Amino acid sequence: MNKDIDIKKLRLNCFRQSKEAGKFMLQMRVPGGFIDAKYLSIVQHIAQTYGDGNFHFGTRQTFDITGIPYENISEVNKYIEKYIKEVETCICDVNMNTIAGEEVYWEPQSGYPTIGARNITACIGNYHCICGNINTFELARKIESIIFPSHYHIKINISGCPNDCNKAHMCDFGIIGVAKMEYHPERCIACGACAKACEKGATRVLSLNENLGRIEKDECCCVGCGECVRACPTSAWTRKETPFYRVIIGGRTGRQTPRAGKMFLNWATEDVILNTLKNWQKFSAYVMDNKPEYLHGGHLIDRAGYKKFKEIILDGVKLNPECLVAENIFWQETEYRSNFNVKRP
Amino acid sequence: MGYKFNFAETDSLFCNILEKYDVYAPKRFPKQGRYSDTDITRYSQIKSINEIEFNQKTDYSAKEVLTPVNETLFYFTENEFKESSAPKKPILLFARPCDINAIEIQSKIYEENGEFSDIYYSRIKNNLKFVLMDCNGGDDTCFCTSMGSNVTDNWSIAIKQLENDYLLSIKDPEFEPYFQNCEKVDFLPNFVEQNKVSLTIKEIPNKEVLNELKHHHFWSEYDKRCISCGACTICCPTCTCFTTKDIIYSENQKVGERKRIFASCQIEGFDTMAGQKEIRNKASERMRYKILHKFHDYKERFKTKHMCVGCGRCIHRCPEAISIISTIDKMNDAIDEIINKNIQE
Repeated sequence: MNKDIDIKKLRLNCFRQSKEAGKFMLQMRVPGGFIDAKYLSIVQHIAQTYGDGNFHFGTRQTFDITGIPYENISEVNKYIEKYIKEVETCICDVNMNTIAGEEVYWEPQSGYPTIGARNITACIGNYHCICGNINTFELARKIESIIFPSHYHIKINISGCPNDCNKAHMCDFGIIGVAKMEYHPERCIACGACAKACEKGATRVLSLNENLGRIEKDECCCVGCGECVRACPTSAWTRKETPFYRVIIGGRTGRQTPRAGKMFLNWATEDVILNTLKNWQKFSAYVMDNKPEYLHGGHLIDRAGYKKFKEIILDGVKLNPECLVAENIFWQETEYRSNFNVKRP
Repeated sequence: MGYKFNFAETDSLFCNILEKYDVYAPKRFPKQGRYSDTDITRYSQIKSINEIEFNQKTDYSAKEVLTPVNETLFYFTENEFKESSAPKKPILLFARPCDINAIEIQSKIYEENGEFSDIYYSRIKNNLKFVLMDCNGGDDTCFCTSMGSNVTDNWSIAIKQLENDYLLSIKDPEFEPYFQNCEKVDFLPNFVEQNKVSLTIKEIPNKEVLNELKHHHFWSEYDKRCISCGACTICCPTCTCFTTKDIIYSENQKVGERKRIFASCQIEGFDTMAGQKEIRNKASERMRYKILHKFHDYKERFKTKHMCVGCGRCIHRCPEAISIISTIDKMNDAIDEIINKNIQE
């Protein structure tokens, strides 16, 4: 093959280079990993008309269509105009004529304008799951318009409950749906089912006080999973009406220093989450001096230091009274290269 | 003869009744369900007729009005005690035919079983009148017509909610004066004659068959499926089991109160005796005990209808999707099998 292809430009356009020269894989965004099944026929059409007929569930819940020859890319971009408009503009209210909040014209037939802010992934959440505390894809759709399109990288994973099936602990900004529980002692029969459920599946914060025939709770260590509510046969435990969120930052995989993320916010409301994320572009621009690099959010937090990150990301954010913020974060990395951080000054 | 009035007029019409009576009715509690973003409906004291949930069967039954989940019987100080006070006002209870029939069944247990009547129960029951709620046959878990609990004449007022109006029929002359100025219409309560599902219950002909049925293998299915949470009996409108507990206020063991609290034959430890001997220590045995009580023992004891009224709440509330209708079908098959086998022998 003798073709002159700007691989980096195509990557920004969400076409990934194949090991087979001149072939590419399209990654179509599906915010929250949840979408009307009618779009599967679009995926099928692209794969069978322009690609090699196959399809991969992207690890970030994108529709990944493999084996698209370079020559077909402009046709594919024309074809996905409708999909991009329906998903990004109609469903997620994204302003496609911006990049990182600045006005930039988007040619509708040119495909995706940026790959920076990665597709927001989510578990199925309480749309279906009996454990879920929140509607995960609705949150993803609200966040999409805040972080996309942008050249600044961020990986956001949303999990409906602290079981964290969607690995909020392994991304830049992980969001976990949590519930504040309410105890109605007048409905409690002191059967102890909640305490058993908490002991088995959560953090052992409940115990049965035999003298009072009541459940006692160690509020401090409740993870807000709602297992007590599920276990209670009398509705003596209920979730409060407002959902809350926990934010885990700085988790990542990678060749050098993979690590699980650490808790940044706990018991934050949706407003707090959205307003915090509105500062993401500002924070990234600060760290990289307004020049986006291929560097993920966790590394930016490392560069700035947690305290600086906290200062910028919470700037102007009015925290709800229940919200707790990490004073400090002590990372625990797997250092595949020993003395990785020791460098010549 | 009946009356018709619209929603806006309701509060002024019922104002004096609400003054004289404590009115209890089905009410919706948003987002207090077992799973997030689901509601529960249960009985609660109401201050306006418009608060009532007319369209959905309550998750928990009307029995909670007569026998609260937790009820203080008396307070004690050393050698003296004082009974808890009876409700100051009479009660007006909104209920469907199945629930009214269920309360009559409960009364048999509280007032006619054994040599004395339960005064804590009777002092409420004797001061209670029913408002019959129109029922269209319920949902796909209802089988009142199969149990003969679809009809009742134990009501003072009958009410039906229309799109913007209520229809009222009055049997108890006490309530006539309140509605004299309302539009007069023909309205008498209608009783549902067919549910979406039905159930036939095989009679157990003799003790031999009963004893064989107790050991039939079909029950063992519930060792694997039932989690013994007790949700089915808590919501059951005819279950009456309770336990008593002395609540001690402080280190001084001589001051406190005696409560009665709902108990459930499905929860482990229900039948633990002195010496820690438990009679039914498997889920299947506990299930068998409940089913035979509802569909054999009670009828045998009181020579009347079966205890179950077919409200279907146990099906609705079971977190493991165990249907009492299927259980009865399986029991019917087992009875047939035993009888046929005995004939052949």
